[in-house]
Amino acid sequence: MADEILRVEHIGKRFGGVVALDDVNLSIGQGETCCLVGENGSGKSTLIKIISGIYTPDQGDIYINGHHYHKITPIESIREGIQVIYQDFSLFPNLTVAENIALNQQLSSGKPLVNWKTIHRIAAEGLERINVSLPLDAIVDTLSTADRQLIAIVKALLAEARIIIMDEPTTALTRKEIASLFKLINELKQRGISTLFVSHKLNEVTEIADRTVIFRNGQKVMDQSARGLDIKTMEFYMTGREIQAGSVDFGTVPQVESPLLKVEKINLSHGFFDVSFELRQNEVLGITGLLGSGRAELGLALFGELPVDSGRIWVEGREVQLKKITDAVAAGIGFVPEDRVREGLFLEHSINNNIIVTLVDRLKGRLRIMDRKRQAAESEKWIKRLELKTPSGELPAKSLSGGNQQRVVLAKWLAMNPKILILNGPTVGVDVGSKAEIHELIRTLAKQGLGIVIISDDIPELTQTCHRILLMRSGRLVEEFTRETISEERLSAELVGAVVPAGQ
Amino acid sequence: MDKNPVPSTPQKTRFGWAKKIPLDSQTLLLLGVFIVLFIFFSVANDRFFTVRSVRSMSYQLPEIGVLSLAMMITILVGGINLSVNATSNMAAVIAGFFMVKLIPADASSQVVGLYMALAILVALLIGVLCGVLNGILVGYIGVPPILATLATFTLYTGISTGLTGGKTVTGFPDQFAKIGSTTVLGVPLPFIIFVLLALAISILIQRTTFGFKARMMGSNPVAATFSGIDNPSMIMKIFIISGVLSAVTGILTMSRTMSAAYEYGTTTFVLLTILISVLANILPGFGSVLNIFVAVLILQIISTGFNMLLTGVSGGTFFKDFSWGVLMILIFITNYFIRRRRQTES
Amino acid sequence: MLKKIIRTNEFVVFLILVGLSLVVGLINPAFFAISTLFDILRGSIVYFIMAFGLLPIIIAGGVDISFVAIAAFTSYATHMFLLSRGYQGGLFLYFLIAGGLGLLAGLLNAFLVTRFKLPVFDVSLATFTMWYGFTLFFVGATANFDLPKPTVGYYENFLMVAQDPVSGQTGLHVSILYVLVIGLVVWWFLKYTTIGRGVYAIGGNKDVAVRSGFNINRIMMIIFALMGILASVAGVTQAFLNRFFNPVVFIGNPLDVIAAVILGGAAITGGRGTVIGTAMGVVLIQLINRALIITGIPVEWQKLVVGIILVIFTSLPALRERRARRMGRTTELAQ
Repeated sequence: MADEILRVEHIGKRFGGVVALDDVNLSIGQGETCCLVGENGSGKSTLIKIISGIYTPDQGDIYINGHHYHKITPIESIREGIQVIYQDFSLFPNLTVAENIALNQQLSSGKPLVNWKTIHRIAAEGLERINVSLPLDAIVDTLSTADRQLIAIVKALLAEARIIIMDEPTTALTRKEIASLFKLINELKQRGISTLFVSHKLNEVTEIADRTVIFRNGQKVMDQSARGLDIKTMEFYMTGREIQAGSVDFGTVPQVESPLLKVEKINLSHGFFDVSFELRQNEVLGITGLLGSGRAELGLALFGELPVDSGRIWVEGREVQLKKITDAVAAGIGFVPEDRVREGLFLEHSINNNIIVTLVDRLKGRLRIMDRKRQAAESEKWIKRLELKTPSGELPAKSLSGGNQQRVVLAKWLAMNPKILILNGPTVGVDVGSKAEIHELIRTLAKQGLGIVIISDDIPELTQTCHRILLMRSGRLVEEFTRETISEERLSAELVGAVVPAGQ
Repeated sequence: MDKNPVPSTPQKTRFGWAKKIPLDSQTLLLLGVFIVLFIFFSVANDRFFTVRSVRSMSYQLPEIGVLSLAMMITILVGGINLSVNATSNMAAVIAGFFMVKLIPADASSQVVGLYMALAILVALLIGVLCGVLNGILVGYIGVPPILATLATFTLYTGISTGLTGGKTVTGFPDQFAKIGSTTVLGVPLPFIIFVLLALAISILIQRTTFGFKARMMGSNPVAATFSGIDNPSMIMKIFIISGVLSAVTGILTMSRTMSAAYEYGTTTFVLLTILISVLANILPGFGSVLNIFVAVLILQIISTGFNMLLTGVSGGTFFKDFSWGVLMILIFITNYFIRRRRQTES
Repeated sequence: MLKKIIRTNEFVVFLILVGLSLVVGLINPAFFAISTLFDILRGSIVYFIMAFGLLPIIIAGGVDISFVAIAAFTSYATHMFLLSRGYQGGLFLYFLIAGGLGLLAGLLNAFLVTRFKLPVFDVSLATFTMWYGFTLFFVGATANFDLPKPTVGYYENFLMVAQDPVSGQTGLHVSILYVLVIGLVVWWFLKYTTIGRGVYAIGGNKDVAVRSGFNINRIMMIIFALMGILASVAGVTQAFLNRFFNPVVFIGNPLDVIAAVILGGAAITGGRGTVIGTAMGVVLIQLINRALIITGIPVEWQKLVVGIILVIFTSLPALRERRARRMGRTTELAQ
């Protein structure tokens, strides 16, 4: 058994009346890749924040490198070799690559003056350690997500990290970049650096983990070697119940003369080229492809946010010009965006307000005065229909969990009675339980007459909801799969391309 | 601006109508401050709470009040309007010229009245135009509101300066003063105008679809676009309303002072309206006209109260500024502790 | 290296400066005289000092308007105090006392912002009003022309002299040296000290700055103290240049200084800005004012021209960004 670097014992933490962590014990050995899995609110983020010194535990002890702490400050945690890479990579967008890499060292050295030669030297050395080259004077703002993540990793390594904690690191990476990342993690492992990998993508967890730790409701419910641990078992422990993935009732798609949505030879420069397809009523159409394949742009184009340069679009047989979002909404198209916090929700406003925001113009009386009663009735209806868990619709939307927030965004569009609903990454950051429920909801909505487009790179999600799946590559539609021709393995292979995943 | 509002939850109360009044903690705090100050000044100076002084206060405060409304709605949608005072002056100057230059010398009083009405329309129109330019810059071109309205502030002041050659416009028909001095049931007309406008804006913000969409947009403009709200159009309309309100202020000032100047108030007035909005805790997406109203009252009674107490003391008219500043700091600190307590409770 | 410079906002400002100068010179060749340069510099001196003090605040993501009130309060109060003591010495004591007061005033802002987690702008609004009222009520409301004897000649203290066709003799005032020193100090502070880099860090991403271990409170204290000191230095310098102390000096002008900093390439949201850019921004505004006079535009219409220029100047970067954002959206996604 490798040397133990970090051990936490009997950690407890409450926020107000809510128990975030309950008697948690965890230990991480040297060179170990440990995956931390759990639904939103399971406590995994809280534990990370305690380890990195941002939160103080109410009970329990922390042992790092043999040193005992009851509570730890961020600086102490950093000095002990704990490096956390958050989803925003903790970078300064307005500073250069070199400065971002070397800044922490500058700070911990306590030197009041900055020697730029030293900064550049440190940065160059750091990049060399992981065999990557980036322009040292480039402003970080101008770099891609993958490059920024590399900078974050270099930072962590330079800080003599013994444990690198990565919080959902693969969210914005292409398949190829994910493979590179896993390769890097394994190299770090050889050098004795441990990785604590927080993720909800169970297929990645099986790929990279030595050990899997599962949290539920603030408690650790599983902690064992990742070998032999399959996704179904993980899901069971995460939710406490079995997810029936088995046979799903898909509903039939009636063959009608005119499709709900028809798209012919649409082009968007730097986005997609020569795309044509149809969507029928009662149908769920999936659009997938690597990041950068044009799938996201296609969704935004259909919603009017990125109007197409050329080509034609018909909705219910009538040709439409989707030059801005209001055009799309008028045509009966709704869009559930991927970044629901930034693009879908008004966090400080009440849940009710969020739900009726598209409807206000319809629920009004004379003089544009809002009809509060009808509004309340409408939002109540949707809270019930979508099983939104909240004590009151007047609470701000930010009080909800990820899954419930996604339901609010869905409710917002469903309340508008759209003909077509486009969903971009509908279950990103949503707990497993809600995920299955949202999929069932999608199938139900299709049966009720909607035409739904799902843009996703989550293959199980696509196979469980879609009647047809369109595959995009480099901006073009390259293949179409129907229920008969679909298979998870084939799609995975298509998405991965020729790159072999790390560790195999 | 401070980013921690808590929308009010409806309180159970015997008086059903009270539920409709948006009372949040800031309103209560402000009302409390108002009452304390009122008592203080009434006790300290027996001339304070007289019909005469109350009436004089209610003549002065409508101008700042309406101007504060003009500022408030732009803050509500996540912006700001530094050009409110400049708009007000420009509207006054142009309307002033209209009256002075176009009214025939021997006109009958009905004709004069007609011209006056037209002049008011001209002023309002100027307010609209000023708002349109602001709306184009901020809504359609995408200039940050603070910079755009800084530019238009300079532009509008420049227009007024150029037109007047730096001189004050005077020579309005005597009837014009009536607007500023008529009373209805003892209450000065400007005050009534202020209250009516405040009510109108309040209804607009809280109860119309326009106001709703504006508040949502203020809270998260990106999500607003993605929810089908036409942001540029809303911003344009908001700035137009702001411009019209500024123009109304100009008319009120014109009537009270019987003059129009390019530099009436200048920067300090703008800062005062921002001060009132900050005191009233107006935030992008959230704001109550009632808070503005009380904040204006507070500032006014401090001003009048201290001026009265300190008549004869040199520089006495400036004590109010000092006390406004100190009051703001105290209210900020109080809000900090209220917020902290609320967070530990939840 | 050259490419790097060309891409900066500062270079654009520089081009505008040069371009504008050329245009004005073409209209009126008398513009190209040394005396014009001296005049512009003289008119810019106090703005330079205030803008340098404001720059770190703006880089850190805040907007402050109280510095004008601090300038007025500290300079005027110091003068009235020394006057009452019958002081007849030189400038040094003025700078010392006023600077000390300015330091404290700046620290007050910093304290309120950090201790009570208040927005910089709101606090500055409150302290602005407070100092404004305080000066006028507690210290005095009238301008004072009673300068100590040794300081009376200061306003003519030129390094170099030149003949101006309109106003006679003019010169490069010695206080330009102070400006240079202050500019160098602030530049050095922002570029070569950890705390200075911390200012950029806070402006870039405050949460990350906290997480990285920057002592935000200490950094804020330092930049606000700097702002306060420089505001008072500007106030005192202004008074001696104009030979009278004014309790409302600069009161109308905080927006001009902010505009200069922004025109000089700083972002209103923070994270960017340089001393050189700020200096150019100040000169640009002075140049525009001067250019208006030289081109013979009547005084009353000058402000209008400035307004039009500002409207155009603020629209252009916004339009540019709009197009870039549209493009950026698709190019970023298609990686």
